[in-house]
Amino acid sequence: MTQEISLKPIEIFCGTGGVGKTTLATSRALFLAKQKKKVLLITIDPARRLKQVLGLEDKEIGALHKIDCAIFDEPNVEFSALLMSPKTTLQRMAQKSENERELDNPIVNILTRPYGGMNEIMAIIEVQYQLSLKEFDTIILDTPPGKHFIDFLQSSEKIKQFFDKSFVEIFKYMGKKFNRNEEGQKSGFLSLIVTSGIKKLLKYLEKVTGADFVEDFIEAISGLYLNRQSFLDALEFQENLKKESYSNWFLVTSVEQFKHDEAKELQTEANQFMHKDSYLLVNKSLSPFLEKWQPNDQNSELIRLRQSMKDRENKIKQLSKTVGHKAEIFFPEVLGALPQSHVKELAQHWK
Amino acid sequence: MKEDTTNSLLLPSILSSKENPEKRLFIVTGKGGVGKTTLAMAFAKYLKDSDSRKVLYNSFDQPLPEGLLKELSIPYFKLCMDTSAKEYIGKKLHSETVAGWIMKTPFFSSLFNMLPGLGHMILLGHIINMLEEDPELTIVIDSPSSGHAITMFESPLNFRDMFRTGLIVNDIDRMEDFLFKNKHLQVLIAALPTLMATQEAKDLAVELEQRNVKDPLFILNDLLHLNSAVQNSQNTNEDHSQNNDELPQFIKEKCKLELEVLKELDQSWNPIAHFSETNNKNLVTAIVHYLNHGGNPS
Repeated sequence: MTQEISLKPIEIFCGTGGVGKTTLATSRALFLAKQKKKVLLITIDPARRLKQVLGLEDKEIGALHKIDCAIFDEPNVEFSALLMSPKTTLQRMAQKSENERELDNPIVNILTRPYGGMNEIMAIIEVQYQLSLKEFDTIILDTPPGKHFIDFLQSSEKIKQFFDKSFVEIFKYMGKKFNRNEEGQKSGFLSLIVTSGIKKLLKYLEKVTGADFVEDFIEAISGLYLNRQSFLDALEFQENLKKESYSNWFLVTSVEQFKHDEAKELQTEANQFMHKDSYLLVNKSLSPFLEKWQPNDQNSELIRLRQSMKDRENKIKQLSKTVGHKAEIFFPEVLGALPQSHVKELAQHWK
Repeated sequence: MKEDTTNSLLLPSILSSKENPEKRLFIVTGKGGVGKTTLAMAFAKYLKDSDSRKVLYNSFDQPLPEGLLKELSIPYFKLCMDTSAKEYIGKKLHSETVAGWIMKTPFFSSLFNMLPGLGHMILLGHIINMLEEDPELTIVIDSPSSGHAITMFESPLNFRDMFRTGLIVNDIDRMEDFLFKNKHLQVLIAALPTLMATQEAKDLAVELEQRNVKDPLFILNDLLHLNSAVQNSQNTNEDHSQNNDELPQFIKEKCKLELEVLKELDQSWNPIAHFSETNNKNLVTAIVHYLNHGGNPS
């Protein structure tokens, strides 16, 4: 690498599963923290490998924690870490807009379970909130693997769709009479929906799902609608991600046997969101080892093994050519068992 | 080596219709890039050729590697979330037109987008229907990723909690009976041989168990110490000490780390060798061969 990576408010680590995304993101946090930067590392991956790397407990999910880097043999260095919880984000949002009652709804509660389906959308809101506090020099985002990451990137688009024109218009129409302090709120709300043409849809829905659901559903929708500003504010985040001045992108891959195809797919999908400050991080590279290895001419099997390993490294190197990353950074495979030792060693390779 | 005998290959027996006739839906899951697709294809091919089953392959709402499937003559079917959902709602309401109309409203299409679990559940329901309609059929699914697998099995529970009564809840009960009570489902979790990856696979099994998915089979993929070239060099070393330097240090260290990881794992883990292949077709064929020979990499 020839130049330094400039510091941005946000750094995004994305990649398919098991390539060492979390470990690399943590090593980046450690590297920046050593330079006295104020760093927040957020994981929105519900699998929460970060918990394992940082030695956190389940009960510490949802709140900010100071990480003492002595666990990486760097005493007197620290950074903050957050394991995202959709529930906590929702609760804060509800408190802010004073909609705690509306959002304490069975459907909303189910949806904000870690695998309930709203993880990505709540993550956007959480990150936007942390950014708005301006307490950190940079926020490092450890994203969920592969397809989930694309869900994450598209979630603000989904928010927009969810509160799309026709939906919003219905509410606008109702908004005139829609006063949530009124006692007869729900029935008034229902009658408005009835007049607005959703009646038919709900009737069909009721057949399929049972009547209680329809009532909960309407309540959930109205609860979410009352918080629409928080959702719509989060759209700003996606716009910012596209700005070079705002973000660095790190596409993480590794040279293991099966990683190439998925990395390529993700790269193609993520490319519509990335800008030119994107870096290809190639983890677990064996190149330095392979270059030194000269098997005996007679041993055709070992020659084949080395060739297949070399082929993989070359295939991965091709990845950066198709998209034009600003730089590719190779991280040699760390031959050690513990994740903390990996973080420590990987941090040496950042510039 | 000692480790080879302690972690013997259970896979052929799990895949055998004689030994486990009730298993008819195999879902291969695990993190991205652990070789799920290659493994799922190898299992489908093995079931078809070595167990003479009527097999269909599917990859659950992600693009199918059709060229490769054709080359390997593995039969497959395609599923599309929107079509399945429309078909399902159409059946429930006794009208495809109404279903199409509902699905087209921006409100419902965005509801589907916002709740990926709903679509997943409908796809799973569609697959179960296929299996119920044809008792001869076995389906192998390459599931997108561990997170999506959890969402897929959690969705029926979530939607039952949400809907409480109605046609969908009846269907959810029927689905759960098929998968769990009648034990037609076998989940296979693949991982690469590192501490982080195997821990994550174990965590996934716990998550799945909380969602009724019991007794998954683990696969430890891409084991370098089982590679035939590595094994042969090690055997030569034992016979002729002059060849001691054949294997470079980094390979020896990687093998050592693999064995350390293996030591911590129980019988439910199936070791699969690293094959010196970069071509996907050859790789699938090598794994099928390996299964046919009870885990002999050469």
